[in-house]
Amino acid sequence: MSHGPIVQTPTPEGFRPHVVAHHFHDANQEFHSVKLGFWLFLATEVMLFGGVFAAYFIFHGQYPETFVKGGEQLSVPMGSLNTVILLTSSWTMAMGVRACQLSQKKQMLGFLWVTLLCAGGFLVVKYFEYTAKIEHGLLPGSFWHPHGHYAEEFANVEWPNLFFSFYWTMTGIHGVHVILGMLAISWLIWQGGKGRFHSGFSAPVDLIGLYWHIVDLIWIFLFPLLYLVP
Amino acid sequence: MSDAHAHAEHGEVQIDKSLHAHVCSAGTFLKVYVALLILTVLTVGVAQFHFGSANLLIAMAIASVKAGCVMAIFMHLRWDTAINNIAFLGSLLFLGLLFLFTMADFATRGSIDPTMSQHAEPPAQTD
Repeated sequence: MSHGPIVQTPTPEGFRPHVVAHHFHDANQEFHSVKLGFWLFLATEVMLFGGVFAAYFIFHGQYPETFVKGGEQLSVPMGSLNTVILLTSSWTMAMGVRACQLSQKKQMLGFLWVTLLCAGGFLVVKYFEYTAKIEHGLLPGSFWHPHGHYAEEFANVEWPNLFFSFYWTMTGIHGVHVILGMLAISWLIWQGGKGRFHSGFSAPVDLIGLYWHIVDLIWIFLFPLLYLVP
Repeated sequence: MSDAHAHAEHGEVQIDKSLHAHVCSAGTFLKVYVALLILTVLTVGVAQFHFGSANLLIAMAIASVKAGCVMAIFMHLRWDTAINNIAFLGSLLFLGLLFLFTMADFATRGSIDPTMSQHAEPPAQTD
């Protein structure tokens, strides 16, 4: 029975050592393997949203009035605010990953906390938007039952529920990603506080950072397509 | 590296110095963040004017520039390995194929087979 040596990544003062998993040759191979795997996962995320985007472009091309009328019901200030919130969180996440790479634990935790708060802020804004749409009956598919003047607004457009089917599906899937991202970032703050992530072992912060940037990336396209329907 | 492994005794702890990951400067991140905010203002501003079908192209062009900034700098793709670039940018290639062939289908409906519907019909309402 032969075992390889226990390979550790360099651990700065005050951090926990990371032991390289036994099936990897060295820390570098471990890091690049896990990163390639994560990029492939992100590619599947692109395809997941890509299908809905393709459907959006087709139906938008066929029923432009429905989409313009639907988009007018959304609040541009709310959407813009959420765009700024997500861009800010993406920046603080990038800074958090940088702090981790430099073994600056306090800064890393600070940036992760701001990212988490921004994610929470995004969901609060979304909550206000969602409740207003539910109140007005601007719901997807067969749940569509616009009240009062909303019924009149949509009286003369074809397939009036079409835009809001896309709105709820797209922002819904995106919102689930935001919630999962918040759970992941919370885990980073918890484990990071114990000193698990540093210059010698930054992969978890790096990868969850990439995931968070994808969430931002999707919103960059959702915002103009839903709130500023061209 | 492999020599070091071969000579290591069972249970010995080795410190691996080979971990290389690019660290981007804080100034670059700040510049990209400011650029993203400016492009967001531009997106909202441009949407107030009506250029017809060009609006969609302009909105998507600005969004693509923003996405490019996020991918290249925030996600470090610029400094990442070729295989990681291929893995991720490859998904954009397939996304392009998905768009291309779906659009080609809908754009030419009825022009080849006149019995085919010109329009995509959403599912009928159930009430």
